[in-house]
Amino acid sequence: MTTLSNHVPDPRLITAFAERQDGPLHRVNPWTKVGVVGALVLAVTVLDRLALLAGLYGTVLGIYGLAGLPYRRLIGWYTLPMLFIVSVAGPLAFFEPGTPIGGSLSTPLGGLSVTWAGLSLFLELTCRSLTVVTFALTASMTTKYTDVAYILGRLLPRPIDQIALLTYRFTFVMLETLEDLVKAALSRGANLAEFWSNRRLYARILGMTMLSAIEQSERLVKSMEARGYNGDITLYGDVSRPPVRELVIVVGSYSAIIGYGVVAVYEVGL
Amino acid sequence: MAHIHLGEGTFPLWALALWTTIGAILVAAVVYRVRKGGIKTHQIALAGIGAAASFAVFQLNIPVWGGIHMNLTGLVGILAGPLLGSLIALVVNIFSAALGHGAVGLIGANTLVNASEAIVAYYMFKTLMGMDWDVFPASTSAATVGLSAGAFLMGAIIVISGVNGSALPRGDLTIAVAGLVGLNLGVAVIEGLLTGFIVNFLASVRPDLVGLADRDTQEEPTGVTA
Repeated sequence: MTTLSNHVPDPRLITAFAERQDGPLHRVNPWTKVGVVGALVLAVTVLDRLALLAGLYGTVLGIYGLAGLPYRRLIGWYTLPMLFIVSVAGPLAFFEPGTPIGGSLSTPLGGLSVTWAGLSLFLELTCRSLTVVTFALTASMTTKYTDVAYILGRLLPRPIDQIALLTYRFTFVMLETLEDLVKAALSRGANLAEFWSNRRLYARILGMTMLSAIEQSERLVKSMEARGYNGDITLYGDVSRPPVRELVIVVGSYSAIIGYGVVAVYEVGL
Repeated sequence: MAHIHLGEGTFPLWALALWTTIGAILVAAVVYRVRKGGIKTHQIALAGIGAAASFAVFQLNIPVWGGIHMNLTGLVGILAGPLLGSLIALVVNIFSAALGHGAVGLIGANTLVNASEAIVAYYMFKTLMGMDWDVFPASTSAATVGLSAGAFLMGAIIVISGVNGSALPRGDLTIAVAGLVGLNLGVAVIEGLLTGFIVNFLASVRPDLVGLADRDTQEEPTGVTA
């Protein structure tokens, strides 16, 4: 994708990695990946020590590499998650009570400094967020289109599953449309480098993208109704149950996290 | 969509459970209303492709403050209405989380924020159009107010939840979060203006989409191409 942003993962590239590569994680059952995502969410929420969170992040980063996925792209894709982390954790690094690192900057409202506790909190939040971001991308880049569609169809209630399936199918079409519109504007000599002077051009590009979406939906309605749509988009794929060894890993992960939370974090029964 | 998402692991476990439950209740209520009214094929198609467009638009880098990305949640609310707008917000959050943008565990909280933006924008737009406002100021104001409501709700969610691992008292956390809300309000104004221009453009080519003409009278598509 040359005309659109390169620090947001392109779904076409993600799908290409899933369809064309064949690493060890491509052979893992998709349900297992869903289970591991849940376990990681629980882990990054429950774990309370920087060393553990950093270890978990390092492990996930290793799994990403093991799957044969590109680290260089990952660094670019970290841009937005890091922006979110900095937005929330950045101010907290200054406000968090504790021992200041180095000196403090005098302001009319008092001394301003980053504390060791603030720095630790910043690093913890970074590890928490990037762990799941990295594994979510790993799972997306190693799971085939039909398997993702099948899982969406099974996990979500109707009509959300129908909406999600159409979204998944038409995301690629809408990306092509948007990219064509941007390329067409650029080829006509447009300069998109400055927003305010090009605000109407941006509005036309985005407006035509939405209009194209609406008109495609109107055509789709006719085609769906002609085929006798009755609230169900039939999926022909199937994702089997995970093998026992993968189930053991998932159940073991949840047990370890819950056990750690109960004993070390919430100190139940102590 | 006010641009800052809540990242994974930001909240303690009880808050994650709370916002997931409230988000699930909102979605269940919307699904109930949609099912009760009978699911129309055009609603499914519009929501599905509208979510795809919203997701695609996010890929475009808007050159403000070094580059911002938008999902145009206010626009989605104005065009699709509060019920479909909420479902689109949920679906976009699910897909965003799968691509590492947003958080899997905070889909409930992020959906609450984005659905509030769509819902407020829709009702504000309807109210202002009912007061004979022109399309541009009505849609700009509606989207800006909707996105601002989302920004305040996000700030409130963070202050109520507290940040995982932080010892900061709620008062100090409120001050720290105020900067984040302020940043989102700035983005809300820009996205509101952009939404105004887009709705103005749409009103000029398909007035039925924004309620300025009878939808049934629009028979042929405009044939949008690059």
